Amino acid sequence: MDNSLQYLEIGFYGSAIILILVGLYGALMKKSLIKIVIGLSIIDAGLHLLMISIGYIKNGTAPIFSGEDFVVAGNMVDPVVQALVLTAIVIGFGVTAVALSLVIRLYRHHGTLKIDEIKNLKW
Amino acid sequence: MVGSPVLFIAIPLLAAFIIPLLGMIWKESVRILPGLVLVYLLTLSINLLGYVLDNGPIIEIIAGWTPPWGINLVFSAFSGFLVTLMLFLGLLVWIYSYRFKRNVDFEPAKKYFILLMMLITGSVGIVLTGDIFNQFVFIEIVGISAYALTAFYTGRDSAEASFKYLIMGSLSAGFLLLAIVILYSQLGTLNMADIARNIHTVKPVYKITALIFFIVGLGIEAEMFPLNGWAPDVYSQAPGPVGAAFAGIVVKSGVYAIIRIVYTIFDIEGAFDFLVIIGLITLLFAETAAIKQIRMKRMLAYSSIGQMGLVLVAFGIGTEAGVFAALFLMFNHAIIKSLLFYAGSYLVFNSKEKYINDVSGLGKSMPITSFLFALGAFAIVGLPPFAGFWSKLYFLIAAADSGMIMIIALILIVSIVEIVYYFRVVNKIYFSKKEAHVVPQRPTFNALFSMIVLGLIVIIIGFFPDLITGILHDASRDLMDKTDYINNVLSITH
Repeated sequence: MDNSLQYLEIGFYGSAIILILVGLYGALMKKSLIKIVIGLSIIDAGLHLLMISIGYIKNGTAPIFSGEDFVVAGNMVDPVVQALVLTAIVIGFGVTAVALSLVIRLYRHHGTLKIDEIKNLKW
Repeated sequence: MVGSPVLFIAIPLLAAFIIPLLGMIWKESVRILPGLVLVYLLTLSINLLGYVLDNGPIIEIIAGWTPPWGINLVFSAFSGFLVTLMLFLGLLVWIYSYRFKRNVDFEPAKKYFILLMMLITGSVGIVLTGDIFNQFVFIEIVGISAYALTAFYTGRDSAEASFKYLIMGSLSAGFLLLAIVILYSQLGTLNMADIARNIHTVKPVYKITALIFFIVGLGIEAEMFPLNGWAPDVYSQAPGPVGAAFAGIVVKSGVYAIIRIVYTIFDIEGAFDFLVIIGLITLLFAETAAIKQIRMKRMLAYSSIGQMGLVLVAFGIGTEAGVFAALFLMFNHAIIKSLLFYAGSYLVFNSKEKYINDVSGLGKSMPITSFLFALGAFAIVGLPPFAGFWSKLYFLIAAADSGMIMIIALILIVSIVEIVYYFRVVNKIYFSKKEAHVVPQRPTFNALFSMIVLGLIVIIIGFFPDLITGILHDASRDLMDKTDYINNVLSITH
């Protein structure tokens, strides 16, 4: 039993970190503006998965006190991280929307999505 | 008490969403409403600051959940001083941009003032909140409105600058979230005071990882090297008053967040040395970059980065005198850099490329603006009769008390570099022949008014620094007293 929990944890944390790394690769190495924005979203997704897995306990129930079958609070998964993730998803949505609107502006201004060709501003 | 700290967040946020509705009824109201809101909040914050200086900090509980469970707002001498400063600068930004160009259309004005209100909400929230996740939310509010304000002019390369800012901003926000998650997984709390009380139980490896992620995440707003690549582009592409708002409001809240993390939450000794080193690198990098700039606003942007480096060094000294000097530097930077951005953006108003050369000989055709720019330039390099002199003097005294002789030498050398590039501009304004193609732009009345107010403050603080030092001493004592902060927040009941 203990072993299965350990594998599950490794699975959660491992996939969260892999997602973050994939997102970082996309945001930093890709040349297309759209792919950069997608990379930023993937980083967010990885972080959300990481937060949810921190609050997870094995066989935990949803953190809701429902009248009839009253569950013990100790058996619930952590509700705080879930609230945090909900907030973070909304913020990520806002940032992605602003980013995509900027990409549209850049495409109209320069006629390209390649980041190498958009360099009017330099150090 | 006349009001509660929660109004500083609720009212501008409400105003931001009411502006478009009121605009449907009466078009002029989108310009007037932000001003009314800012005047009310400024008087409120001055009142509350007076109350706080006599009676100790005000802790506001949100939604009836006492700390450490709920979110709380802390209006102490330190945060109250910064809030008052930000709201004052916000009011001046409003006066300046009331009619930034003659005959502005209704649509741009509406968008501009909505975003400005959001920017002020976020910055004030960062300073007031006592909860790290709440602080993250406010940082994102500032971020989103700052990206949009940067891309405000469609004609320039502003979308490019804004996209750069957005990539850096959202990457660093990811790191910030990671830091918050690490702390939460170790301590199970998000309240700053509760974290500060229990931080000594955390293993050093988690503590240091979290601190590094925090500093990376917050350094972007504080223009810390190497996270400040966005600043020159953003300052040069954003509208003039927005540059002043960034230098005076956004950057201040970023520095506040870093300082709160290093001074109150974490108890790592090496963090102060880190601040000194990173501040010095920021300073040296920015001032050497500033001297070779040929565009006006980029030069001002690099100078702003350099000043923030100086502030970080002063905070890194770690003594109360150092904090005092740092707060004085922050105050002066906010006042003087706003003045320079206001005056500078009118000096290069009609020049397309915004070259420094284009200001040549404008001293005769724009006497008041040129004089105010020169005043700001003299003040920021620290010439004696102006405000900048006192902050640099207190900074050098604080450094000398801590035996940091090499740092004093470095700062003085950097000051000479600063003098060179500012006086080069002043020299061009007054003693060069006028460029034929440059048409001088007369500032509007309200722009002139806000510039003159700032100029008067620079001179008055220069002659009577005692007006401000009392409150700065209280604020620095408040920041240094960590146990007091923890006890005040955690002992609060309904």
